[in-house]
Amino acid sequence: MINATNVYKTFKTPDHREVKALVDFSTDIKKGEVVVIIGPSGSGKSTFLRCLNRLEVIDSGEIIIDGVNINDKKENINKIREEIGMVFQLFNLFPHKTVLENVTLSQVVVRNRSKNEASEVARGLLKKVGILEKENGYPSQLSGGQQQRVAIARALAMHPKIMLFDEATSALDPEMIGEVLDVMKTLAREGMTMVVVTHEMGFAREVSDRVVFMDEGQIVEEGTAEHFFTNPTHERTKLFLSQIL
Amino acid sequence: MTFNKRSLITLAVLAGIIATAYYFFVTKGITYIWHWEKVPEMLFYYGSRSADDSIPGLHMGVLMMGFVLTLKISIVSTIFGIIIGIIVGIARLSKEPVTRAISLAYVELIRNTPLLVQIFIIYFFVGSLLRLSAFVAGTAALSIFAGAYVGEIVRGGIQSIHKGQMEASRSLGMSYAKAMRHIILPQALKRIIPPLAGQFISLIKDSSLVSVIALADLMFQGQQAVARTYYTFEIYFTVAFLYLIMTFSLSMATQYIERRLAISD
Repeated sequence: MINATNVYKTFKTPDHREVKALVDFSTDIKKGEVVVIIGPSGSGKSTFLRCLNRLEVIDSGEIIIDGVNINDKKENINKIREEIGMVFQLFNLFPHKTVLENVTLSQVVVRNRSKNEASEVARGLLKKVGILEKENGYPSQLSGGQQQRVAIARALAMHPKIMLFDEATSALDPEMIGEVLDVMKTLAREGMTMVVVTHEMGFAREVSDRVVFMDEGQIVEEGTAEHFFTNPTHERTKLFLSQIL
Repeated sequence: MTFNKRSLITLAVLAGIIATAYYFFVTKGITYIWHWEKVPEMLFYYGSRSADDSIPGLHMGVLMMGFVLTLKISIVSTIFGIIIGIIVGIARLSKEPVTRAISLAYVELIRNTPLLVQIFIIYFFVGSLLRLSAFVAGTAALSIFAGAYVGEIVRGGIQSIHKGQMEASRSLGMSYAKAMRHIILPQALKRIIPPLAGQFISLIKDSSLVSVIALADLMFQGQQAVARTYYTFEIYFTVAFLYLIMTFSLSMATQYIERRLAISD
């Protein structure tokens, strides 16, 4: 479903230094697969995620999603993005819209659904993430965990084929991480194709089909969660795991 | 609209200052014979407008006619000022270098030349070419002038919105235009209401400059009335008070809008 081949991405810092975020990065992700990407900060994991829906444009290489080269200028990027949901570290809910409007807006303006139809979809999803009773509240009235669950519902409302999670629990208070992870686990079990950048090793161990460990823009090691947590082969992986576990 | 306690206090302080100044002026100042009784008929009068008009009625006096025209000019140029400002604000942030350069040139040109000169140029030069009436030329000049300032305010407002808002909108499949319209601009406009209010209060006052192209606004009517009657102080005090009514109402209205929009904070 996702084929990334020889992807390079370099950022220029304000003081004109070059930072190599992705170096000859290749990976294939199958339909229904749950891939967890871990690695130290600055290793390029968020960059890779953001390249998948072209929030960042790659320098060279190729990313094919569902048979479409997403960096092809002839393709309509908005159409591609409709199929790819993204959940951000800082939620990025729309503060001037109610919870329900957050989930219905893109359905109405992008998918051209009627208000009623969109509300029905939204209520179903808000119920699924356990936050239906807050539908008329504003994001500022919700806790971090609640906001992130609304953000997941908002992304799901487009009925995407792929969901990207960019450190979705990193900005949450510890006691709220569980409620968001539970929603993500449910999605994973339902067969959603997911690419998850996270520091939650419990999540990786429990639901991932594959764990990818990145450092300096490259894949150092990848394998099943079991392989990863019981006998990692690379020294760099062992060092990383010893520091976070 | 409800007048809250703070605006009542503001009004009281204002009235106090004016009354004190007036008292000292009248008692300790120059000799001046006041004719306040002549002012009401400049606002409204009962009678015939002309010899042909046989049925007497209640009519607007010269100052009230000026007040209405100033109000019209201000409203029209505020509306166009907002439209131009939003376009310029977005253009200033465009990825297209030519669009950016043109919008910047517009802002710099308008902000760095006197409004009075702009009014003359638009009325006498552009106006003669396109046969514009004084009203069209005057409101156009004010709209173009306000648009440059509003553009910079809008740009600041857009830039103050966290970039995650645009990313979230785009990741949901919204185009740049849809994201701007539904997500970024509503938040930015809410945030820039205080500086916008200041800008449009200035605009109301600056509109007095159109009197130079013989547009019969409040200032023009005031000057004419002074020239006719020599009731200099009474008329200018009244003119100032009429401007104050417009600007103070706008202040109150924006405070009311701000309170209404604070609901999602």
